[in-house]
Amino acid sequence: MVENKQQKTWGTSYGEMVWKEFAKSKFTLCWLGFIILLFLLAIFAPFLANDKPFVIRIAGQLHWPIFKALTASDYSILLAAIVALIQFLLVLRNRRCVDPSIRAGVLWRQITISVFIVLVGIILLFIFIPRRLDATDYKSMVASGKATGAVFAPVPYGFGRTDLKVREQPPNRQHWLGTDDVGSDVLCRLIHGSRISLSVGFVAVGISSIIGIIIGAILGYSGGKTDFLGMRLVEIMMAVPVFFLIITIVAFFPRSLFNIMLIIGLTTWTDDARFVRAEFFKLRRQDFVQAAVSLGLPLRSILFRHMLPNAIAPVLVNATFGIAGAIFIEAALSFLGFGVAPPTPSWGQILSLGVSTTGRFLWWLTLFPGLAIFFTVLAYNLVGETLRDAIDPRLRESV
Amino acid sequence: MSDNGILLDIKGLCVSFFTEDGIARAVQDVSFSVKKGKTFALVGESGCGKSVTALSVMRLIADPPGKIVAGEINFDGRNLLELSDQRIRAVRGNRIAMIFQEPMTSLNPVYTVGEQIVEVIRLHQKKEEAEAWDIATEMLRKVGISDPAQRVAEYPHQMSGGMRQRVMIAMAISCKPELLIADEPTTALDVTIQAQILDLLDELQEQSRMSILLITHNLGIVAERAEDVAVMYASRIVELSDCRSLFDQPLHPYTQGLLQSLPRLGFTGKRLYTIPGIVPEPLRFPAGCKFHPRCPIGCNDKRCQTVEPQLRLLDNGRAVACWFAPGYERPDDPKI
Repeated sequence: MVENKQQKTWGTSYGEMVWKEFAKSKFTLCWLGFIILLFLLAIFAPFLANDKPFVIRIAGQLHWPIFKALTASDYSILLAAIVALIQFLLVLRNRRCVDPSIRAGVLWRQITISVFIVLVGIILLFIFIPRRLDATDYKSMVASGKATGAVFAPVPYGFGRTDLKVREQPPNRQHWLGTDDVGSDVLCRLIHGSRISLSVGFVAVGISSIIGIIIGAILGYSGGKTDFLGMRLVEIMMAVPVFFLIITIVAFFPRSLFNIMLIIGLTTWTDDARFVRAEFFKLRRQDFVQAAVSLGLPLRSILFRHMLPNAIAPVLVNATFGIAGAIFIEAALSFLGFGVAPPTPSWGQILSLGVSTTGRFLWWLTLFPGLAIFFTVLAYNLVGETLRDAIDPRLRESV
Repeated sequence: MSDNGILLDIKGLCVSFFTEDGIARAVQDVSFSVKKGKTFALVGESGCGKSVTALSVMRLIADPPGKIVAGEINFDGRNLLELSDQRIRAVRGNRIAMIFQEPMTSLNPVYTVGEQIVEVIRLHQKKEEAEAWDIATEMLRKVGISDPAQRVAEYPHQMSGGMRQRVMIAMAISCKPELLIADEPTTALDVTIQAQILDLLDELQEQSRMSILLITHNLGIVAERAEDVAVMYASRIVELSDCRSLFDQPLHPYTQGLLQSLPRLGFTGKRLYTIPGIVPEPLRFPAGCKFHPRCPIGCNDKRCQTVEPQLRLLDNGRAVACWFAPGYERPDDPKI
């Protein structure tokens, strides 16, 4: 039996088919690469743009200021990213090496371990890494010859550093993308701002997808009066202009990143709910769902194991558009002054500084974050579009 | 009840659908019993209520709009209609299994066939995962799929219709059910595959002595395989008989019409007989005998037009619902 199992080749799964179809478009693959690049940028932001050097020799002794200056959340992001990468590689490896009959079990065990490591790691990091404020000006130490052998990040400026001597400078050799009204380097703030934009996109869409899926699944499966009343509520929700609702709510609550994510998530789930409801409505009458019921499977398995994976495609597509939308909403909120509070950098906030208090138009403060927002939203929309096309014909062919 | 060799006993089953246009009485007063290890065939045209009867046994009627209004479905001595949802789930798939008409859509496209069979085995038989995979492979071999160790890891879209129906059968028999409900198992398949699938069902029945409730509109299938036959027309059973006498001497004009419209070996020349008219819709059943507008005997008969004949057991052990069937009339019947 054992040697039998090793010869077995696992059939092409639905996900693999969609990926093959998706990968046909090389143009979109480039944009997917762009998104991945953005993610790397966000994860490694402190190493790309930081006013602390990686390593420096002061009075004959080696110091590692950048690693000491990283906060617990910086380390948490790194830890989560590394564990996620390992998990991804393990999944790829499992497809080749682990026998299908035990793969589901192996996968769940790995995911449990990964989540456990990340959670425990984050808790430990937050307990053991103190908040340090390192105000040492390493650059002047190097300039005055007190320290030698310093290795700086490619963009040697901190995102919270102000330097009034260089405020409102257009792009030049020291500051490639110029400086803002308090003399912070724009490139540095853009790099750190990608963290805000990407996390807003992901968390907000995560929240809205989960709410949308649960509500849509309940309405779609139950039908009848529940469905009728539920859909009217969803329609009422849809009739409300979301952006103004968000502005109103944000005005009442403290300006924190978490609040913004939560509010965007809580107000944009209606599309997901409608998609999932429509899919469940259709699936409920499908033979394989009837077959699942006739085989005595419990409701939990029918809803989430058999129906949800078949209904998830439009949600996935909508999520990519949703991420773009959330990034856009966050930028707009920040532009209007309802976004995250300074000095936390965000693209929309940098954009809003384009018209300075003196009334001058500082084009570099508008152009570069504007381009960043434009290309990110474009990339997500293109990926979403291709994903939709990749899913569509397959559904018609294989079901 | 379980000692007289009867596995499934349906008594006076009535199923209605409460729609916006009115109440559709899809199944009315249907009674029959399936013996252990035997095949019972339920024959009729589309929309006559045979599938609804089958779904009622599994308690799969969507409620709303459907509702089992009256009747008993006794399975191995217990009334399935009185079981709790949890209890009926333990029966479904485990003791009663069902095969559907459309193999192309009866399997979940996102899982391999192995994963789908394994889930059922693990649920009902509480087996370890690795053992369940071995059983699943064995089941695929049993239903005649070549290279089952490889096929078990494939997705439904990699298989043909006939193969998918075999997988459905493998899934249905994986927990060794006592009753297999086959709802038009071959309608969607090529003729050659049809015969293979039916032979497979026969073979599996011989091995495990399960009962089969075969639902079909094809009388030809019934002749070779079923012990007992019920012919349904417009929500009612019009004739209930053992298979041989039904074919030798059909009593109900509808059954006669069905048999005449079968192509026969050696039949040359003229066109095949067709029963005139169409099956009435459940919302617009005619008064009296529901078959009378299409009936060659009773279409002008006053009694057929006004009084509906009930299914009645005759002296020769057969049951029929027709005023003109020999031996049907009783002295106290209404005379018009």
